[in-house]
Amino acid sequence: MTTILLVEDDKNQRLLYEQELRHEGYEIVTATNGKEALEKVQEQLPDLIIMDINMPKMDGIEAMGKILCKNKKVPVIINTAYSNYKDSFMSWAADAYIVKSSNLSELKDKIKEVLANKAMNS
Amino acid sequence: MNNDPSAFNSNTKIYKLSGLLNEYRGMPLDEDLSKKIEDICIGLDADFTERDAGITIMAENTEQPEERRKLERRNKDKIIDVIGIGLCLLDKDLKITWANQTLCEWLNLNDSPVGKYCHDIYHCDEIGTGVCPAGNVFNGNVSSIIETWIESKDRKKMCVQHVAMPIINKSENVNNALLLTIDATESEKTLNKLLLLQRLGEAMQDTLQLDKLLHLILTCVTSGYAFGFNRARLFLINKEHDVLNGMLAVGPSSPEEANRIWQEMSSKYSSLKDLLEGLGHSHNIDTLLNTMTKLMVYSLSDTREIVISCAKEKTPIIIKDAVNDTRVTEEFRKALGVDEFVCVPLIAKNDSIGVIVADNAYTGEPISEDRVNTLTMFANQAALAIDNAEIYKRLEDKINQLTETQERLIRSEKLAAIGSMSSYVAHEIRNPLVTIGGFAKSLSRFNFTDSKIKTNIDIIIEEVNRLEKILNNITDFAKPSTLEKVDAQICEVMENTCILMENYFQEKHIKLHKDFATDVPVVSVDPAQIRQVFLNILMNAVEAMPDGGDLNIKIMSATDSIEIDITNSGKSIPQDLLQRIFDPFFTTKQKGTGVGLPVSLQIIEYHGGSIDVKSRHGEGTTMSITLPIR
Repeated sequence: MTTILLVEDDKNQRLLYEQELRHEGYEIVTATNGKEALEKVQEQLPDLIIMDINMPKMDGIEAMGKILCKNKKVPVIINTAYSNYKDSFMSWAADAYIVKSSNLSELKDKIKEVLANKAMNS
Repeated sequence: MNNDPSAFNSNTKIYKLSGLLNEYRGMPLDEDLSKKIEDICIGLDADFTERDAGITIMAENTEQPEERRKLERRNKDKIIDVIGIGLCLLDKDLKITWANQTLCEWLNLNDSPVGKYCHDIYHCDEIGTGVCPAGNVFNGNVSSIIETWIESKDRKKMCVQHVAMPIINKSENVNNALLLTIDATESEKTLNKLLLLQRLGEAMQDTLQLDKLLHLILTCVTSGYAFGFNRARLFLINKEHDVLNGMLAVGPSSPEEANRIWQEMSSKYSSLKDLLEGLGHSHNIDTLLNTMTKLMVYSLSDTREIVISCAKEKTPIIIKDAVNDTRVTEEFRKALGVDEFVCVPLIAKNDSIGVIVADNAYTGEPISEDRVNTLTMFANQAALAIDNAEIYKRLEDKINQLTETQERLIRSEKLAAIGSMSSYVAHEIRNPLVTIGGFAKSLSRFNFTDSKIKTNIDIIIEEVNRLEKILNNITDFAKPSTLEKVDAQICEVMENTCILMENYFQEKHIKLHKDFATDVPVVSVDPAQIRQVFLNILMNAVEAMPDGGDLNIKIMSATDSIEIDITNSGKSIPQDLLQRIFDPFFTTKQKGTGVGLPVSLQIIEYHGGSIDVKSRHGEGTTMSITLPIR
């Protein structure tokens, strides 16, 4: 089963994504900040990471940088309320950039797309 | 001749008088001159016992032979006639006892005035008043100087001045008065000329608007009241381009027009006041002559052109015969269409700023040096006034520029503050909103027995959607993203936008009319952002027509810009709101966020362009977008 690491500090939102993505048939592992995400990646390498940016302790961009240093092949989707990180070149390392919306279909479509790309390249 | 000492004395006095009057010829009679004449006249006596009365010296030797006295008198009369003043002797009744030839000619008298009353032959009303010169003399007062207008033998209007001198006889009584009549026409003319110049000068100094001033100047040059030339053209030096530019022309464009205008206006500008008042409404003249003059441009280095040499040498040039005058190029002669004209330089602060060219194309009246001299004086004043007006205009432009910059600064400051504030709020709201909406959506997947639950969930989803749209607008506004400019065809961008909105137009019963010029060049823009602008403005236009209507889109290209006019036939925007529609968060729409137009304006301004809005009652509203080509 495809495992997705969901990094999100907002409890209710984390619950929402967890429910919705499970419903799509994915295995969901969660982390509440960047630091925890690093630990979770070390425990078990996920097939894909959904990363929020604004989080306590370690923000998503820093965490993504650290994860990608070790595991270049993990695809990352940035999922944030801010659109202005698009201009930051750090975010270019991600496979996709999504501005959060109550309509999750964009996120779901992007997950499928990124996973398909990964399958093709491996 | 005559070695009689008394006769010698008398002759000397007459010679002295003659010399004095010659010296003062053409000058107005003033107290200084009148005193000098009086000094000479002391000792003169009148012999009015004879029929051919005349001036003689207080006689010590009355026993002179008759013959000699007559000869002497004739000699004196000759001298008196050549000195060019009118002289007559009056008795106490103000009856003339003797008059010289000059006076008879001036007053156009056929019969001898001797024996007639002085006021009768002068047609003078001052008799018995305190200003009658002769009356004052007989009353022992100082003679006053009075001025009257007469018509001479050759029908010439003359301005004359009179002064009376007492003739004191041996018994120290004043039985006679010598009345001097001096021709002051020339000095009167000069005086009027100076007065006119002064008044025109004052009027010019009062005028700071350059185009109005130029019109005033040329109206003065052509007005019969002032200089009376048929036509006048004004050229100004443009230092930026090193050329002399035709600025304005005043005068009829053809002989037919001249006749018509002069008939209409003969009495229109009879005084300076009328002339100045008339300027107010005939300010922008669109005549053939004016248009042609505006097309006349000469390079400052082209000294073959007479206007250029006139400006360079700073002296007026009168051309009497342009065909044979090497100073006039054929081109200029043809442009002017006359053989006789005058060029007068406009000199301000020792620098030529332009040239006035005047002619009498229709009356053919020769241009006198005298008139040119006055015109030159006038031109100097005019040049100073133009210089002032130009400085004033530059100042005004600078102030306008500054005000504009200041306004833009204030607005961008305001935008920045609003931007950072709204960005913060928007993001804080977005997160919980995503959760609410997301859960509502996931709930909608379940089946509910009560249909009300399903409806309520849908309402939550709908409202969250609306909120998110607002947030998107606000964050767009907060974040002026960098432009990704590529060469794009604006017409194509507009076409694509219209296709996007096709269904919407149909739904709202909007009739679309497109008028795209074929010569619109490719420009460097961010097509996505420009499309955003078009979308915003088209949406607004459609919303202004809730009951349907016509939507006109016109794209034109000017020399250095493209203009896109979007006009709707809907309700107009009230003037007081018109100024505010570009203010962030200002909206009249129930569902609007008030950022569509400010964002559009910001995008267009990032492209170096501008948006202008015109709204008139019954004519709908036009948004004009201007984009620079480079």
